[in-house]
Amino acid sequence: MVHKVVAEQVAGGISTTAIRIRESGIERRARFRGLAEPLSLLVALAVLIGVFSLLNERFLTASNLQNVLTQSAIPLIVAVGATLVILLGSIDLSVEGVMGATGMTWILLSANSRGGADLGPWAWVIALGVALVIGVASGLIFTALKVPSFIVTLGMWYVGLGIATMLYGTDLLPRLEDEGLKGWTSRISFGLPNSFWVALLVIGLGIFVLRSTRIGRVTLAIGNSETIVRSAGLPAFRVKVAVFAIAALLSGLGGILATVQLDIGSPTVGSGVLFIVIPAVVIGGTHLGGGKGGILRTVLGVFLLTILNNGLILSGVESSYQSAVTGAILVAAIVFAAWSQRDRLQVAK
Amino acid sequence: MNDVTTTPAVLRLDSVSKSFGSNRAVRKVSLNIQSGEVIGLIGENGAGKSTLLKMLSGNYRHDEGTIAVNGREVQFRGPADALRAGIGVVHQEQSLFTNLTIAENIEVNTPMGRGGVNRLGLYNWRRLYADAAQALDLIGSHLNPKTRVSDLSFVDRQMVEIARAIRVSAASHTTPLVILDEPTAILERTETAILEREISKLRDIGSVIFVSHRLDEVMRICDRVVVMRDGELIADRPVDDVTEEELFRLMVGRETHAAVRNRRSIEATSSPIISIHDLTRAGSYADVSIDAYPGRVLAILGTSGSGRESVVRAVFGAEGFDSGSVSIAGYSGHQLSIKRAVDLGVGYVPAERKTEGMVGEMPADQNITLTHPGSAAVGPFELPRRRLSLARMWFEKLDIRPREPLHMLQDFSGGNQQKVVLAKWLNSSNLKALVLDHPLRGLDPGAAETVNAQIRSVCDGGTAIILIPDTIDEALDIADDIVVMRDGRISGVFDLGHDNPATLDLLERML
Repeated sequence: MVHKVVAEQVAGGISTTAIRIRESGIERRARFRGLAEPLSLLVALAVLIGVFSLLNERFLTASNLQNVLTQSAIPLIVAVGATLVILLGSIDLSVEGVMGATGMTWILLSANSRGGADLGPWAWVIALGVALVIGVASGLIFTALKVPSFIVTLGMWYVGLGIATMLYGTDLLPRLEDEGLKGWTSRISFGLPNSFWVALLVIGLGIFVLRSTRIGRVTLAIGNSETIVRSAGLPAFRVKVAVFAIAALLSGLGGILATVQLDIGSPTVGSGVLFIVIPAVVIGGTHLGGGKGGILRTVLGVFLLTILNNGLILSGVESSYQSAVTGAILVAAIVFAAWSQRDRLQVAK
Repeated sequence: MNDVTTTPAVLRLDSVSKSFGSNRAVRKVSLNIQSGEVIGLIGENGAGKSTLLKMLSGNYRHDEGTIAVNGREVQFRGPADALRAGIGVVHQEQSLFTNLTIAENIEVNTPMGRGGVNRLGLYNWRRLYADAAQALDLIGSHLNPKTRVSDLSFVDRQMVEIARAIRVSAASHTTPLVILDEPTAILERTETAILEREISKLRDIGSVIFVSHRLDEVMRICDRVVVMRDGELIADRPVDDVTEEELFRLMVGRETHAAVRNRRSIEATSSPIISIHDLTRAGSYADVSIDAYPGRVLAILGTSGSGRESVVRAVFGAEGFDSGSVSIAGYSGHQLSIKRAVDLGVGYVPAERKTEGMVGEMPADQNITLTHPGSAAVGPFELPRRRLSLARMWFEKLDIRPREPLHMLQDFSGGNQQKVVLAKWLNSSNLKALVLDHPLRGLDPGAAETVNAQIRSVCDGGTAIILIPDTIDEALDIADDIVVMRDGRISGVFDLGHDNPATLDLLERML
C-alpha cells in the first residue's frame, strides 16, 4: 500500500516535468523545421547566383535578371498547379499537352496570319475551357475509375498534343497579328516583365487557396491520409477533381502565354516545361507522397532551375552538354533535398 | 419511459443486438451510463467490443433493441448523427491529419458555415483557433492550436482526439460521451499516467467509456467495469467489488496459469550469445554493455528517452552505432546489417508491427515463411502445399485465430498478427536470439499470455531473448535478467536468480 502511494507520487511528479519538457520540445522543433528547409534552398540559390556572377559579369545585370524572370514566369504558373496535384499525392504529367492544345485553340481564335475568326476575349474563355475539359477528364478518370494519376495524365499529355496537332493541320504556321500582344510577356511594367506579374498573381492566389480555403486544406489532408479524409466525411472526390481542373487551367494559361511569347502557334509550345516544373516542386521540398510542402518552396525551386539554365548558357557551357549537365545537377539536388526524408529502414519505393 | 424527476441516463442500451450473416457479434446488450461516470469496457479480441462501439459511433446500425441518448431514442445513420448526439469516439488507430494544425483536426467535423470555415469554404483562422482552443480548454489541455500534429507526442495526439470528440457536443451544450478505444495501448508508462489524469478530468464535463486491455489501468481509472465475452455482456460491476484476477477470469473464461518462473543465476560456465560492449551512439546512448545468455530472458527497462529501443535495433542491424561492438554468436564486426544478423540467427519482432513486422497484403502463411522458408522450400522454390501445412502447424501451436492461413494478414486481429510475426522467426532452424520490441503492445490479456508462454518455451529451448517490455510488471513476470537504462546509460543490472528488485527500485533507476 505504502509503495502504491509513493509510486503514484513519483508518477505525478513525472507528468508535470514531462509535460513541460514536451511543450518546450514542440516549440523548438517547430521553429527549427519552419526555418531550416527554405533556408537551405535560399543558401543554394545565393551560392548559384554568386558562382555565376563570378563566371560572367553579364549575369548580374538588370536586363539579364529581367530575362530570368520572364523565363521563369511560365514554369512558375504551371508549377503552382503541379504543387497542388503533388500535395494530393498524385502527379500531373499532362502539362505540355494541355499547353499545346490551349495555345493552339487560343491563337486560332485570335487575330492570326491564317485569318479566321477573331473572337478577342472569347478566345481566352474557349481556350481555357479546353484546358478545363482536359483537367476535369483527368480528374474524373483518376478519381472515379481509380486509375493511377501517373498513367491518366501521361495519356492526357498525348491527347492534348493530338488536339493541338489536329488544330494545327497542314496549313501554314499561325502567326500572332495583334501588335499590342506581340512581345507583351517580356515587356516591362513597374520594373518587372508582364508575364512575371501574372505569375505573381497566380502564386498569390495559389498560396491563398492552399492556406485558407477548404479545397486547399482538404488537398493537404488527402495527401496525409485519404482514408481519414473519407471517414471524416470530407469531400475527397470533389476536391481531387477540382485540383486536377485547377492544374490544367494553369497549364492552359501557361500555354497561352507561351504562344504569345513565341509569337506563333505550335503544338509543342510547352516543350521542356514539365522537366522544370516537376523537379522544381520536388527540390522545393514538397513530398511526392503528398501532404507536405508548399507553393513558396516550389517558387524557390523554379528560380533555382531557371537560374541554373540561364547561368550555364551565359557561362558558355556548350548547348550539347547542357541537358546532361542540368540533368546531373538535378539528380544531385534531389538526393540532397530528400536526404532527411529517408525512411528509418532506408526503404524506398 | 424515464422518470421525469431524475436526469435520464446519458446512454441507455436496451437488449441491443447486431449480426453479420449467421455470426451474432453482439447479443442483447443492455447498459446504462450516467453523467460523470467512467465505464471500463473489457473483453478479449473478438468479444464484440468493437462492434458495440461501432454501433454507438454510427458506423453500424443495430438490428434489434433500442439505443437512447439523454433519454431520447436514436437511430444513427452515420458518424455525423452520433457526433451531434454527443458521442465522440477516439479510435485505437489514430485518425489525425499529422500535417495539419491541431485546430483543423479538432474542427474537422464542424459543418461549413458554423465554425471557422464559412459556407464558401474560406477559412477564418482566428475563429478556427479560438474554437479549437475552447475545446482544448474544456478538457484542461493547454496545447497551442496552431501547432502541427506531427510535432506532438502520442499522448498529446490523444488529447487532440479527445478534444475533437467533445467538440460537437460542446458547441450544442449537450453532455458528451467520449469513447476511448484502447488509448493507452501504445503509450509509455509516464505518458499513460498523464492520460489517466486527463481522463479523470472528463468526469466533470461528461461520461467516458474506456476500453483497455490493461486491467490495472481499468481498475485505477474507472468507476464501473463491464465485461463482454462472445458478444454478450456478462458482468457489470463497480470497481470496488472486483479484483484484477476476477476480471481476468470473467474475460477469458479461465484462471491465469502464468506459473511463477523458476529462476537461476547465470552459470559461470555459459557464454553469452549476444554481447554488446561499450556501444555508443551520439545523442542516443553511450557506453552500453549488455550480455544476453542462452535460455534467459533479458528485459531492458527505461522511459522513452532512455535509448533502449535504439540499442536493441542496433543489435539487429536496423540502426547504426558510432563506437563499441556487438558480437553475435562469436561473430563480431562493425558493419552489422539486418541481413548479417538474420544469417547469424537473430530474430526481431518490431514495435511497429504494421510497417516493419509484416506484409499485410500477403496471406498469413506466406508471412510465416518469408524469412525462413524451412521445410516449405525446395532449392530456391517454395511449395505452396508444404507452406500451407507448415503454417497450419504454427496456427495450431500458437492458437492463431481464425485458422485460415490463406487469409490476408491484415484481416487478422492485432494479437493474431503478432503471433504470425513471432512464427516467422520461430520457423528458423537456427534461432539463437530473439529480440522483442514491445511484443505485447495492443494485445488482450489472453493473447498476451499465449505470446508470453511461447516466448518462455523458445527461451527454454536455449534461445537468448532480449525484451523491451511495455511495463515493469511484464519484466518482473517473464525476465531472468533486467537491465535498466536512463538517459542513454545503464543505471542498473539485476540477475533475478539472486537479486529481487522491487518495482520502486526499478522505477527510480528509470527516472
